[in-house]
Amino acid sequence: MTELLLTVFSATFFVTVIRTTTPLLFAALGGLISDLSGALNVALEGMMLVACLTAVVVSVYAPWYVAVLAALVAGGLLGAVMAFFHLKLRADIILVGFAINIFATGATVYALTLATGGDKGTSINLPSKAVPAVDLSFLSAIPGIGPTLTAFLSGHSILSWLVALTVFLIWFFLYRTPWGLWLRGVGEYPAAPEAAGIAVNKVRAWSLIVSGALAGLGGAQLAMFNYIGFTREMTAGRGFIALGAVLLGARHPVGAMWAALLFGVFEALSVVMPNLFNWIPAELIHMIPFVVTVLALIAFSYRIQRRLRMRGLA
Amino acid sequence: MSLTATAANSRWSLFRREALRGLAALIMALLVAFLVVLFTSKEPFEAMFQLLVAPLQKQRTIGLWIDDVAKLTVTGLAFSLVFQARQFSMGVQGQVYMGALAATYVAMSPLGTTWAAIPLCMVAATLAGAVYGFIPGYAKAKLGANEIVSSLMLNYIAIDIVNYLIRAQLSPPGKGLLMTDPFPKTAVFPALIANTRIDLGLIIAILCILGVWFALYRTSWGLKLRLVGHNPKFAEYSGIRSTFIMVSAMTVAGGLGGLLGSMFVNGQAFGKLTVLFEGGLAFEGILIAIVARSRPLAVPVVALFYGYLRQGAALMGIRTDVPAEVIGVVQAVIILLVASSFTLPGKKLIARLTRPAGEPPVAGKAQEAQP
Amino acid sequence: MAPLLEAIGIGKTYPGGTVANDGVNLTVNAGEVHAVVGENGAGKSTLMKILFGIERPDRGELRLEGKPVSFTNPREAIDAGIGMVFQHFSLVPSFSVYENVVLGSEPRAGVRFDRAKAIAEVRALSEKFRLSVDPLPPVGSLPVGQQQRVEILKALYRNARILILDEPTAVLAPQEVNELFVAIRSLVAQGRTVIFIAHKLPEVLEISDSITVMRAGKTVGQVKAKEVTEQSLATLMVGREVALKVDRADTDQSRRVCAVENVTILNERGTEVCSDLTLNVHAGEIVGLVGVEGNGQAELLEAVAGLRPVETGRIDLEGSDIAPLSVLERRGAGLASIPEDRIASGLATGASVAENLVSTRLGDRRYVRNGLLDLKAISANAKRLIERFSIRVSGPNAAVGTLSGGNMQKVVVARELSEQPKLLLVSQPTRGVDLGATQFIWRSITDARDGGAAVLLSSADLSELLALSDRLLVFYRGRIVAAFLNRGDLAPETLGTYMLGLSAQTPEEMQAGLK
Repeated sequence: MTELLLTVFSATFFVTVIRTTTPLLFAALGGLISDLSGALNVALEGMMLVACLTAVVVSVYAPWYVAVLAALVAGGLLGAVMAFFHLKLRADIILVGFAINIFATGATVYALTLATGGDKGTSINLPSKAVPAVDLSFLSAIPGIGPTLTAFLSGHSILSWLVALTVFLIWFFLYRTPWGLWLRGVGEYPAAPEAAGIAVNKVRAWSLIVSGALAGLGGAQLAMFNYIGFTREMTAGRGFIALGAVLLGARHPVGAMWAALLFGVFEALSVVMPNLFNWIPAELIHMIPFVVTVLALIAFSYRIQRRLRMRGLA
Repeated sequence: MSLTATAANSRWSLFRREALRGLAALIMALLVAFLVVLFTSKEPFEAMFQLLVAPLQKQRTIGLWIDDVAKLTVTGLAFSLVFQARQFSMGVQGQVYMGALAATYVAMSPLGTTWAAIPLCMVAATLAGAVYGFIPGYAKAKLGANEIVSSLMLNYIAIDIVNYLIRAQLSPPGKGLLMTDPFPKTAVFPALIANTRIDLGLIIAILCILGVWFALYRTSWGLKLRLVGHNPKFAEYSGIRSTFIMVSAMTVAGGLGGLLGSMFVNGQAFGKLTVLFEGGLAFEGILIAIVARSRPLAVPVVALFYGYLRQGAALMGIRTDVPAEVIGVVQAVIILLVASSFTLPGKKLIARLTRPAGEPPVAGKAQEAQP
Repeated sequence: MAPLLEAIGIGKTYPGGTVANDGVNLTVNAGEVHAVVGENGAGKSTLMKILFGIERPDRGELRLEGKPVSFTNPREAIDAGIGMVFQHFSLVPSFSVYENVVLGSEPRAGVRFDRAKAIAEVRALSEKFRLSVDPLPPVGSLPVGQQQRVEILKALYRNARILILDEPTAVLAPQEVNELFVAIRSLVAQGRTVIFIAHKLPEVLEISDSITVMRAGKTVGQVKAKEVTEQSLATLMVGREVALKVDRADTDQSRRVCAVENVTILNERGTEVCSDLTLNVHAGEIVGLVGVEGNGQAELLEAVAGLRPVETGRIDLEGSDIAPLSVLERRGAGLASIPEDRIASGLATGASVAENLVSTRLGDRRYVRNGLLDLKAISANAKRLIERFSIRVSGPNAAVGTLSGGNMQKVVVARELSEQPKLLLVSQPTRGVDLGATQFIWRSITDARDGGAAVLLSSADLSELLALSDRLLVFYRGRIVAAFLNRGDLAPETLGTYMLGLSAQTPEEMQAGLK
């Protein structure tokens, strides 16, 4: 037990948590934006997966930042496809989202075989690049707390710093700019912005594109830092856990951040625990994030339900 | 013309319209696949040949096809049920795993060697699946918890549980194989056509079709379910207990999923429980249900076509440089096209693309409710 | 002087084939109050949508100050100085008043939304036009009259010269209507022009300068308010003499069917929406619940139907407590209910007419035995009801969504009145229904009453309540503040005083009305 506590409160664990949280948080922020505009994006999983592959393949031929950009664009493109089918052709957004996920699973494997010349499982033969880590070891020079600061703050992926900035940017966008007001209005009561002359569908389309782009950044982090390279179905449900984080975070960027951190902690635990407790089977540890999501979903819904009980909803 | 004659006529024209729409979507999806294959494969025509023709060439592949159709039908029916109640529970995969697990326990127990093995396996599997389908239903009904997320999470959980149990308990110790010993002969479905995979599962699938159709259109439970799917507030106001219906729909669909699990592990295909036996087939039920518009009688037809494509894709994957996964692209295009065609702008687009020259556009009047 | 706004020969046909406008003419002069009247389905809303850029006409032209214009979206209409206030408000409930007013035209400081400036501007505007409302609270918490002011401020914030109001008085009590008219007159005095769509002829005659009458998609009259009477207007609207009253038979009203005793009902937030209500309904009478929407009438009806829990108190049906009974059981005991919103809760538009007609009787052995449906009986029942209630539909298997509003409501009424109910709950029975169907529905409700049903009627339409009810109970903030016997001598203004809580009767005064 003490061993567990020591591990959990260590700097290495913190670094691991930031690493696991980053893709989840990007995806959750993407899910938040689209959900707030009234379009629930269940395709975060597929968008991230496609972005993973895109990042890996592009990084073979170009510098890492081009690969990250490509992942962002790939995600955004899929968002545009969703917008087209849902907003223009009025297909149900859940079905469109699942179509994207199904497409992603198949297409990424297909593209992988093309890129690797036959390997359907991993991109291990490809020299794909990594996103650089930000080295803050100069902080050690600070007397006293220096080494601790370094241990906690140095070595994170540049995308992790970006995602922290993104949380602030999204908060600012949603609550301090007119367009954030438009987006929230479109999601809550579209007749109002429509009457004010705001193009509701355009707002939703952009939110889906941005949502895809953010999921794309999450995919870039996953395939270029957490792991280097692509493995089939490597997103392993993270896109759906991100949706859980959106709901758990009360549909607010800071809430989403805390929720994503919570899930990041559990994913990090599942990495660390096999070493500590090898009497707990690997599969059950792997299961923890999913169980936590379900429990969190239930707890959160229960809170809302209590407030709505007068309605006789149940 | 009497009222019933006009009704029958418009029912037929409705059916024909839907069938053409599904077919149009299929053809367009195949065209997309062809284009993709054309630009990326060294042997595009060979690949398309394998996809479209190869399954008919050998009796063995035809057998695989029909066996797939039976399984696809059952998952398609499970999704159709929940879609008709307008619930988006995606938990069929988890139900299949839990059902398979339950069937495995029965098969590997002393009961597995008795004549009652097969029915008991099926019953155990159905019950396990029903319980697993009940969970997200209950969470949705009592707490309003989003059933999409909860059911998807339960899928992953089920797979992990089964994988663990196989590794740690069920597989014969020491051999390091991730599968159980083969079930005793009494716990394996007899083949209907010798040397093929076509087994009792086909009959089960047919019975499920009839059962679901009858339940939806001839029982009050089914009418209540459909009304809840159309308008939950109205159902409540009419005195129908929407929550009970929603939960029971997901539970019954869960039972179908569980039964499918038994069809896997008790069937000729496997006759044992092995890791990743399901291969993602459960999710293909979504496509089947959508194209079939959630109508039980259309599900087997769609399953027939789609199952064929599935076999073709597998053969294509083995024999050419195009992997079977390209069928994921086909699936996605079909879903997108069919989902769009439910609505007016999409209908117009597809009608324009598929209308034979000279035929006037289909009028929007005389809409029939579901038969 | 050239008219400010003209519509010449406007035609519009919707994709389903409905001809909404067929040669409509409208001439509005600057600085006048212009009313557009016609019954439901006459094409008024379509014309307004065209004026505001939500729809585009198939033929005809619009002229603003003599120059032809056409609007492809509301933004263009707003830029041209046309503002519209819809009947169903377009307000985001969780946003504050000022956020709603400036939405889409927010004052900015760089990329930031300048909230302080927005608040100041909204305050200034509301003072200038005597539309007093606090800019800060969330709009969802305001009463309807204030929400309407926010809507008007929205239009004024964008410098609307022409204000179009779609049935503005539908949700207001008589005194609030007077306040609205004061605001309208102030707007006109400051140089604006007001067009409004209306149903209620007395109001139209009071406030407008000119009136355009529409019927069946055409303009059938353009008159000055001074030159017409209510009756002549009604005749123009309908094309025939209109009966504004319903004959009621003498019935024995001594047997009490439903008793509500000290009932208190809470809403989702825990606030009381009905406080200590006590009332009785007898067989053979119609009790009208008067009140501005949101004062507890709807919640009371929901509680009696079983769709809402009762916090304290007792509801009796024929002497026994109905609290333990489910919705289905109450229906089995003879309760029928026509809901307020037929599409949201009265029908399943995707299901067939036959299925809708039988949805409340799925426990009835004539249609369901051992869980199995008797399709022949269900179909026969549908055919019978279609005939009896003159529902215009191609057959029992047609989807309900293909019917017109009036026929949809007839399906609801047919289902609820297919058998003589003991207790009938009715809410907004003729909202959005054309005059012909309205007469039919009024007749059906009265027939049920004459046959011995006890009827609780809630409506926002005072003339409907006055035409149908035997007794009237006025609701204000969840309590009954007045009760009257309807002897044909009640003035709407009197009711209005109680509806707005300006006075309340003493228990002695209420005794006769409460029975």
